Formats: sequence, structure tokens, C-alpha cells
Amino acid sequence: MSEAAHQNHTEKKAFLVNSSSLKEVRTFCRDVFEKLHIQQDLKDELVLAIAEAAQNIVKHAFKNSADANELMVVQISCENDKLQIAFYDRGTPVDPKKVKHREIDNVKPGGLGTFFIQEIMDAVEFKDGKKPWINHLVLTKQL
Amino acid sequence: MDYKVEDKGNIKVVHLSGEIDMDVADKARQSILPLIEAGNEVHLNLSKVAYMDSSGISVLIESKKLSEQKKTKFELIEVSKPVEKVLAMARKFL
Repeated sequence: MSEAAHQNHTEKKAFLVNSSSLKEVRTFCRDVFEKLHIQQDLKDELVLAIAEAAQNIVKHAFKNSADANELMVVQISCENDKLQIAFYDRGTPVDPKKVKHREIDNVKPGGLGTFFIQEIMDAVEFKDGKKPWINHLVLTKQL
Repeated sequence: MDYKVEDKGNIKVVHLSGEIDMDVADKARQSILPLIEAGNEVHLNLSKVAYMDSSGISVLIESKKLSEQKKTKFELIEVSKPVEKVLAMARKFL
């Protein structure tokens, strides 16, 4: 069996649900990916996908109006070169059927985030959040 | 994110720097759209932008659309590598 190129590692962190936290989310991701020795181009893409998913929580699950102390959790795990990023929040339940990017000829601002996530990641999965969480989003990528 | 506006004859050159995300997209928007609204040709320099997400791309799309409405020009003149990567991905979609 071949040896994994990246060490197994798990880290998670809670962030306040607001747009000011997005920079902290990016910093957290960059620090973890640094530890995993992920190359720069892929690191930039993964940071973008994670930040877009966090932005969707702020913008859509909480419609930009989360309580001041409301938290979302981001967990990054790497096992046998499979990267898994989990998000937990207590916002409005997400209907996976309604999460899609815009039609390709509909050029107007907004809606690109979901497209970026789907472009960058191998899989996007919405799961039922276990209490106290309501939404549990999992993004995966084979490294 | 910071910005400065440079006058080059009839052209306003807007220099953005730092990271452009949802949190600062309105600030970026307000640095550009009023200039276009006033009928100026606007050139945008993104050479010092280290990160841009879909919120930043939205500002670029809004700026382009407004310039078309106002029958003026909006152009990107310099783009950093991280921004170019995001633009390349967005172009697949737009």
C-alpha cells in the first residue's frame, strides 16, 4: 500500500456568523493547509471554496442577520490524502435541491460562490446536522 | 482593503489593494460605481489585490454593466495572479 503524501490531521474552529469572520476563516484554513504542506495553487483554491461556503452560511442560512453570538464551526480533516471540510451551523435548514448556481447565460452579480465550490471540490454533500447543529455541509477533495 | 483614485486626464484609475470579500465588497463598490455613474471612464488596477472572492467578481460585473448603461468604459488594467485565477474560473461560468 502506498504511503499518503499528506499527514493525517484534523483541526476545527468556531467563528461568529458574520462577514467580518470570513478573513479569520481564511487565515485558519491557510494555517491548516500550511501544516499539511498543500501546494500554493491548490491551497488558494481550497481557501476560496471554504470561504465561499462560509459566506453562504452568513448570507443565506442566516440572511446576514445572525445573533451577535451565533457560531459556525469549520472542521478540516485529512486522512489518507482525502481532504474533508465540514461546516456546522444553526441557520435556516438548507434544502439541497435549491442550492444550485445560476443559469450560465444569466450574467448578473451574485451566485458565483456555489459555482466556485463545485468547480474546486470533488464532492459537496448536505447532511442533517446533529443537535445542536441544523446544517452540516461536507466538502471533499482527493489530494 | 484600501483604495486610491488617480486622475489620468479623462480617465479615473482606481487602485484597490488587500483582500476583497463580502465584508469589504461595499467599500470596493463605492470606490468605483460613483465614478462610473458620473460618466467617467474607469480603469481598475488590481495588481495589489491578494485575494478576491465571488463578492469581488460581483463588483466587477456591476461596474461593467453600469459603464455600458452610461456609455462609458470600464477596464481592468492590471491584475494580480490570485485575482487572475479567480477571474479565469469565473469566465468559465459567465
